[in-house]
Amino acid sequence: MKRATFLASVALLAGALAAPAHAQKAVVYALTGAKIYTLAGPPIENGTVIIRDGKIAAVGTGIEVPAGAEVIDAKGLQVYPGLFDSYSRLGLTEIGQVSATVDLNELNQYNPHLNAYSAIHPASEHIPVARANGITHAVSAPGGGGFGGGGGAVIPGQATLINLSGWTVEEMDIRKSVGLVLNWPSMQTTTFDLSTFETRQRPFAEVKKEYEERVGKLEEWLDAARQYAQAMVSPAASTIERDQKLEALVPVVKGELPVIVNANQERDIRNALEFCQKQKLRMILAGGGEAWKVKDELKKAGVPVILRPVQTLPMQEDDPYDRPNTTPGELNQAGVKIAIATFDSSDSRTLPYEAGNAVPFGLPWEEAIKAITLYPAQILGVGDQLGSIEVGKRANLIVTDGDPLEFKTQVRYLFIGGQPTSMENRHHQLYEKYRARPK
Amino acid sequence: MKLRILLSIALLAVALPVAAQQSTVTVIQNATILTVTQGTIEGGSILIRDGKIAQVGKDIKVPAGATVIDATGMYVTPGIIDCHSHIAIDGGVNEGSVAVSSMARIEDVIDPDDVDIYRDLAGGVTAANLLHGSANPIGGTNAVIKLRWGKDARGLLFEGAPPGIKFALGENPKRSNFTPPPGTPRRYPNTRMGVMDVIRQAFIEAREYKKQWDDYRKRSSAGEKNLLPPPRNLTLEPLVEILEGKRLVHAHAYRADEILQLIRLAEEFGFKIATFQHVLEGYKVADEMARHGAGGSTFSDWWAYKVEAYDAIPYNAALMTERGVVVSINSDSAEEARHLNQEAAKTMKFGGLSETEALKLVTLNPAKQLGIDKRVGSIEVGKDADLVIYDKHPLSVYSVPQKVLIDGEVYFDRQKDIAHRAEIEKERKELKEKEKPKEQKKDEKKPDEKKPEGAEVMP
Amino acid sequence: MRLRRRSLFVVSWIAALGLLPALNWAQQSTKGSGQADTPNPPRRYAIRGARIVPVSGPVIENGTIVLANGVITAVGANITVPPEAWVIEGKGLTVYPGLIDALTTIGLPAPAEGPPGAQQAQQRVPRSEGAFDRPGTTSWENAADQIKTDDKRIENWRKHGFTSAVTVSDRGLIPGQAAFINLAGERTNDMIVRTPVGLRLNLRATGGFFTGYPGSLMGVLAYHKQVFADAEWSDKVWAMYSANPKGMERPAYDRSLPPLHSAVVNRWPVLIPATWAKEIQRALQLCQDLNVNAIIFGAHQGYAVADALAARRVPVLVSLKWPEREREGDPDAEEPLRVLRMRARAPSTPAALQKAGVKFAFYSDGIANPKDVLKNAKKAIDAGLPADAALRALTLNAAEIFGVADRLGSVEPGKIANLVVTDGDLFEEKTKVKMVFVDGRKFEAHEPGRPQEKPVINLTGKWKLTINAPQGPEERTADLTMAEDGTLSGSVTGPRGTASITSGWVSGNKFSFTVSITMGPRTLEATYNGTMEGNKMTGSVSFGPATIDFTGTRPDAN
Repeated sequence: MKRATFLASVALLAGALAAPAHAQKAVVYALTGAKIYTLAGPPIENGTVIIRDGKIAAVGTGIEVPAGAEVIDAKGLQVYPGLFDSYSRLGLTEIGQVSATVDLNELNQYNPHLNAYSAIHPASEHIPVARANGITHAVSAPGGGGFGGGGGAVIPGQATLINLSGWTVEEMDIRKSVGLVLNWPSMQTTTFDLSTFETRQRPFAEVKKEYEERVGKLEEWLDAARQYAQAMVSPAASTIERDQKLEALVPVVKGELPVIVNANQERDIRNALEFCQKQKLRMILAGGGEAWKVKDELKKAGVPVILRPVQTLPMQEDDPYDRPNTTPGELNQAGVKIAIATFDSSDSRTLPYEAGNAVPFGLPWEEAIKAITLYPAQILGVGDQLGSIEVGKRANLIVTDGDPLEFKTQVRYLFIGGQPTSMENRHHQLYEKYRARPK
Repeated sequence: MKLRILLSIALLAVALPVAAQQSTVTVIQNATILTVTQGTIEGGSILIRDGKIAQVGKDIKVPAGATVIDATGMYVTPGIIDCHSHIAIDGGVNEGSVAVSSMARIEDVIDPDDVDIYRDLAGGVTAANLLHGSANPIGGTNAVIKLRWGKDARGLLFEGAPPGIKFALGENPKRSNFTPPPGTPRRYPNTRMGVMDVIRQAFIEAREYKKQWDDYRKRSSAGEKNLLPPPRNLTLEPLVEILEGKRLVHAHAYRADEILQLIRLAEEFGFKIATFQHVLEGYKVADEMARHGAGGSTFSDWWAYKVEAYDAIPYNAALMTERGVVVSINSDSAEEARHLNQEAAKTMKFGGLSETEALKLVTLNPAKQLGIDKRVGSIEVGKDADLVIYDKHPLSVYSVPQKVLIDGEVYFDRQKDIAHRAEIEKERKELKEKEKPKEQKKDEKKPDEKKPEGAEVMP
Repeated sequence: MRLRRRSLFVVSWIAALGLLPALNWAQQSTKGSGQADTPNPPRRYAIRGARIVPVSGPVIENGTIVLANGVITAVGANITVPPEAWVIEGKGLTVYPGLIDALTTIGLPAPAEGPPGAQQAQQRVPRSEGAFDRPGTTSWENAADQIKTDDKRIENWRKHGFTSAVTVSDRGLIPGQAAFINLAGERTNDMIVRTPVGLRLNLRATGGFFTGYPGSLMGVLAYHKQVFADAEWSDKVWAMYSANPKGMERPAYDRSLPPLHSAVVNRWPVLIPATWAKEIQRALQLCQDLNVNAIIFGAHQGYAVADALAARRVPVLVSLKWPEREREGDPDAEEPLRVLRMRARAPSTPAALQKAGVKFAFYSDGIANPKDVLKNAKKAIDAGLPADAALRALTLNAAEIFGVADRLGSVEPGKIANLVVTDGDLFEEKTKVKMVFVDGRKFEAHEPGRPQEKPVINLTGKWKLTINAPQGPEERTADLTMAEDGTLSGSVTGPRGTASITSGWVSGNKFSFTVSITMGPRTLEATYNGTMEGNKMTGSVSFGPATIDFTGTRPDAN
């Protein structure tokens, strides 16, 4: 009886256009008979997950289904934590080439006070598209073009962590700020000018000077923030004019808010690492194209890496052809904590395949799963809330008919915040619409 | 008649000893063979003689002297064919200055040194359709290559592949997404109306040009003297070949309406569109495409990067297939080409294609679209031995090509590649060391030269 | 025996020549002799007892050369010096044919400053809409008509033993026709040996995505094919029209086309740039498409395609500007093995071409300092090229490639008296050019204005120079070697790299040395003048209109 109701509600949801996720507030759900990959221990065969008030209330075998719970018979299915795209542009861009729909890059080079949160578009069609492939939550970061680094402001703003479901950003919110994004200034002598379609060579001396100026300015900002922090706790605090930018930097210089540093080239990574250590910042490396060259230093400094997609060309002509594929495994082996992310919006749904592509090149399967679930949660300071199926954690999880990293696999049920959430989206609707076009 | 036979025998007689001399035989054993056209053979073998598939089956004897590749536990598929690639092109992919750039030939500028050839080869790609960019309603002519890494430009060409040309509709040729530098005049066309106008005008001229030449040839062969031939026009010559059905049109298009517009125009001038490229809204007009006989070469799941890609859906390939269009999945990217098998696999999820249908999208179907399916695209006796050996099922995310053969020759071998890496590093190191100025060698660290402004002006 | 007989023949030929009116600039004087400030130089010379390297034949260890009226009249071991000849004692000297720089822009106006794009914008070149606009085409221009005799390079090159050069503009897609010139003359016309000796094509796009046709390499190649097809047709239509214009639409006048047609029917060599093997193959294909005879220039990766070049019998001009790592580039940038290998192997190209039987010559390719041209030729020798083949590539081969071997390129009776006289082997670094003959006219190597006092200081060693530039001091290092007579050689290293000293001297306690620096398209000279005391030097460096003080120390000196 209960089960019928549940199915009906899912069906109802399926009909809604790009359905915002939350249905009527519930109740208790029970997933039964599934193989549960908790990621907190070995998989549980024929297990049960109980979801109550948006949280995981119980997980294991032989658990009694509470009275009144909506039961989902997941026999033959598998349960995983919801996939986490730990660096995305979801909600910030709709159509890449139409600037009117893109809210990634604000003017000016240093914008610590801006937060992606204030531009998230809950109705973006990208969100349900990503969701349909099992992505339940994501970091949405401002700035940059492409896979981190290069272009954009030095500080484009703060990144926000959202559930991929909700009528409003408040409903989506998991943590408003998970880090300050820093595009480490790169010394690029070759630049491609999109307006002329030509590459331009700049003398290294000129590029280096520009780089030093930018880093110098960054230092100034941090110093100013420290001074501001000190002043704001002094007796004269009330007389000091409020400065949004410095205020935003205070938790950063205090080491409370991590800096998510985009850097791909070895030199940039080293420079960034040195800088962050000197400045005592909590660094998360993002991009990390050549992080494998700095793995020992990263390990030593305890700096985790949010890796850019594995399906990327090697950075150097002479790099082994599979260099991007082997990087996650190599870093993992070296003891560096890694996540894998898409750094994209429309492509966010490819997250499981990016992780899957690292597996035959040295990243153990379970580590690959963790790189898109548990590890990013830990890296971003929400490991207590997300990333594994454990009692007390947010009930963001997926029920699949197979290995979530494989192409054939379908996500059968998806829970966000303990709510069964629709996987209907624009793509499927267009599919159904044109499939029905008379011959 | 008799003479012709005699002649061909004589030719054979000349050709045979050479062939016999170089005859090489390779046998791939104990593999799961995904033939694409003739089902799957478990524990099968493929016998390759002189670059061609000579036998496929379960019980194949290994001739003496044959090279044996043990593929126990592995999968063999036809080589992947990328119907839309811009690798291995020197000096610009676009001749973007003019609206009609059919005089530009990719074949003239093939870059055999481009490492992306090797990278894509390592992803199982054995043939690719190198296309001019999409900056023009009528772009340059293409080159179909085999990824014979190490060969020179001529050695890469897929000999006998029908010539083709690039067309482009929509946002790119009308340049909606590019801002010319200040002071530069905008190029016509600026709208989809103008795009169609440019193409129509070009074919009106091409038809006239063809007529001039036909007249000239007729009168000339009738013995008329003192005839002045028409001036050659290298821009119109490829278009005449299109009118004559000798050149395949690969038309970049996104929106359903522009796909139909071009079909109408082509039918008006009596030619066919071989493929629509990208064709992200092909699923909306699949019937019309099928009726015209146009193929559709699309992306697996890219969308939303521009307005005309906003209705793109990952079900496109499956939907077009269902409606009878010959569909391929292409890369348009040196990176994407490295895992086209995976891109094809996505259609099993989005649209429910079977394994064979999915595999066809990157093998037999692109071969058909490029007019090379008599040679490649499936594992059949008589076809070129362009093959990929995977360690796992090629439609799995975990599969990695272990060996890639073209014309029966191993052009990529993963184990050899891995073994070779140290050598490359060593040679790089040595060469870099050699180049260091002598003083620097003695004293590795050179003090950082402080260069004040204006340093570059001083001697 | 053979030599003697030939010399007899030449003598009689010269006698016949003597009957002709004066042909050459050196003999002609438009000024009355009364107005001359300097005496007319002698026109008859004999170099006696020198080592002669004729290139076309075996070395003569102790021979004599007789020059008269611009031509070599006799060469051999046992030559009688005619009584009217001005005798130069050749003991300790070596005589070579004058060197030929097989492709330059010597004498032609330097391109405007700034990057090519900026230049185009400044000149407001109309946007080319297609081949019919003839973008970058000045095929009718002949270098012979544009040479300016005041180009400093003429003297500079000559001082270092170059007596001839092939010169042609390097701008645009079809810059024009090349001239073979001698590097001396009062007027442009005096310098021309033969013209045209070739037609130059370029393959770099003049336009761009927004800036006109052609904007890509394939567009450039298509352009060349179209314009050559147009030339062929134009010739036909004009022939027809000229024969019977009545009733025929008047064909268009187009000055671009006749030279191209001439290049095809008269088999002018067409000069095509190609550095990498793939580019060489592309150039070979282009020549086939255009139905022209090619000369490939550049050819740094020629080692990889020597056999193909040999099979096609295409001559090659090897650029002596060996590839180097980009000086202004990123010092940490990883360069691909492909590039490193090519750089390492480029100097082996001449040896590979020699082995394969390809005819090749050397050219300076924008090297600022002619001294570096020979230094770089030496690198080809170090990479396996026999020294005599290197010499040939700087002399007779170039003459053969450009069809002037009947008058130049070797020390043979009857040929133009272009000689370089050195005090040792040409490829030895310490060897100095003592004198040069161009059209039989003698040029001493000493620099005018050089004081002749005996040196009382020795500048040899490594110097640290500090230039007191207005924006702050700048450092240079100078590596100097002083010869006994005070002649200075060596190099100066600064942020733009190392530049060789083109000329330098010490006189008493004073010194002066000059370096040439290439800055984009231009070559600039910097001259350091000063005095030395102990291990310190002070002076000033002049650079264009600017003069700035500098000081120097020699830290390594004990």
